[in-house]
Amino acid sequence: MREQERMSEKNSPATAGNSRRSILTWFSGAALAGSAAISALANFIFMKPRATYGQPSRYSIGRPDDFPSGTRVSLDQRRVCVVREGSKLAVISTICTHLGCTVGVSDTGFACPCHGSRYDQDGNVVGGPAPKSLAWYQISLAPNGELEVDTNAQVEQGTYYNL
Amino acid sequence: MSAPTVPEKVPATAEKAGFVVALAALPRNMWDSLFRNPLPDSDLGASRTSFTNFFLHIHPVKVHRNSIRPLYTLGLGVMSFVTFVILTVTGVLLMFYYVPSTTQAYDRMLDLRGSVAFGTVLRNLHRWSAHAMVAIVFLHMCRVFLTGSYKRPREFNWIVGCILLLLTLFASFTGYLLPWDQLAFWAITVGTSIAAYAPVIGKKIQFLLLGDQAVGQEALLRFYVLHVVVLPMLITLMVAIHFWRIRKDGGLSRPAEADGMPDGKPLRVEIVPNSSKGGTFGLMGFVRGPFTKVGNVPDNTVYAWPNLFVAELFVFVVTVAVLLVVSLLFNAPLEEPVNVLHPPNPAKAPWYFLGLQELVSYSAFWGGVGIPGAEVLLLMLVPYIDRKVSGVGKWFSRERFLANTLFVTFALLNVIFIIIGTFFRGPNWSFVSPF
Repeated sequence: MREQERMSEKNSPATAGNSRRSILTWFSGAALAGSAAISALANFIFMKPRATYGQPSRYSIGRPDDFPSGTRVSLDQRRVCVVREGSKLAVISTICTHLGCTVGVSDTGFACPCHGSRYDQDGNVVGGPAPKSLAWYQISLAPNGELEVDTNAQVEQGTYYNL
Repeated sequence: MSAPTVPEKVPATAEKAGFVVALAALPRNMWDSLFRNPLPDSDLGASRTSFTNFFLHIHPVKVHRNSIRPLYTLGLGVMSFVTFVILTVTGVLLMFYYVPSTTQAYDRMLDLRGSVAFGTVLRNLHRWSAHAMVAIVFLHMCRVFLTGSYKRPREFNWIVGCILLLLTLFASFTGYLLPWDQLAFWAITVGTSIAAYAPVIGKKIQFLLLGDQAVGQEALLRFYVLHVVVLPMLITLMVAIHFWRIRKDGGLSRPAEADGMPDGKPLRVEIVPNSSKGGTFGLMGFVRGPFTKVGNVPDNTVYAWPNLFVAELFVFVVTVAVLLVVSLLFNAPLEEPVNVLHPPNPAKAPWYFLGLQELVSYSAFWGGVGIPGAEVLLLMLVPYIDRKVSGVGKWFSRERFLANTLFVTFALLNVIFIIIGTFFRGPNWSFVSPF
């Protein structure tokens, strides 16, 4: 017993130093880890742009009269296809659902040049690797009489806008 | 008679020497302080030269005889590094004339061809070296696997190598958006769409990479920064760790009998703490055989200078020469400027991604994320799954027949998919015969 006490007494300055050092180590380590986590998150937020400079998601495509009945026309800049049958109007995306190439518009449907996906006239997949049908976008009539497309709002396939 | 005479063998900068004498001896003294050792003509000189030179210090003074066998390493590791050096040098030079802007990038490509001195050959060298680096890094990985060199204690260096392969692929991926031609635009459109198929975070990764919903100015700027700063720095760091680890893991792998005792058993033994003494080590527990090695066991090492350095210099010169000749003979492709409206048909990625593109044509998720992800994971876990230490240091060792066969099968499958994607796919990705 006495031997042990003597030993601990002899070691006490070192023990005090050790506990101080271990507190410092824990404190610095925690501070460093916390800073690392916060800066990782901050970097992530920084890299995610708040405003993008690309195409707006809502845009006008013109007046209904610009698209007579039977129209099936691809608006290349907007990457959509405007279809009109009588008074029914639809705007179908021409972005391939597979890997984002622009599909070509033909009378029988759509065909993708990149990996050979094929769609029918309504955008249903009829061949190739595409996992789902082409998107249909919501159309509305703006007060100035022009048709407005919202690419953030998809409508169910076959949901036509009635003029 | 008045000029003081300098005694022989004393440096001219000795304290008492005059200014004029110091001036006269200045070139010589500067030279001697720059190169502290003359070209070595003895073993002592050889070790001093390696030891005191910053650049030569990358290698130990003596290396194992097996490490410089050309047919063992095929020089593939050094070759990978040489291509990286060429890419860094040509890349920095190209940066002087390149602008990462959608309106200027393509014109700058044309300027490189038309008005920049050596512009064409620099771009060719950069492009072909990038192709070469991908191929050589892959072959280097094959060498390491087929000689069983990923085994203990080299497991972690194998992982560093796998990371370097991924970084190499990512560097080339970010690089080929920069010319802003049709191949660039559509390959990146397809490539980043593949990333979007990753579960949960896929769409977010794609958005972060592109900085927008589609490939455009933001994507070009981001890829440029990744390509010229972030990835080269990461590669440099990983290469440094890779090289450091080679030395700390005992040099290049070699068969156990290559540095054994005369009885054929390995010199190094497991270090097991002596538990009866509470985890203390006896010095004699570290090593087998006589305490003094020199003269008592066979010495299988040679001096790094000149044996290893000359071999590496040779690989360097041959690699540069071949790439230079290729760059003088063949021009790097440059397609039409970007036309967002009309993807080329078929839209093909560079050859090393065509295997992926072929897989993707069956299923975007499995071809683009599932199978490649599983392959990478499996590749990195290999040293922790295959724990047997037999058959290390020999090409196609019999003891490693199963592992080697599996690896070769996987490698060949990837190559076959690349060949199908390159030669057998035509418009709309339909099957065509190249013959």
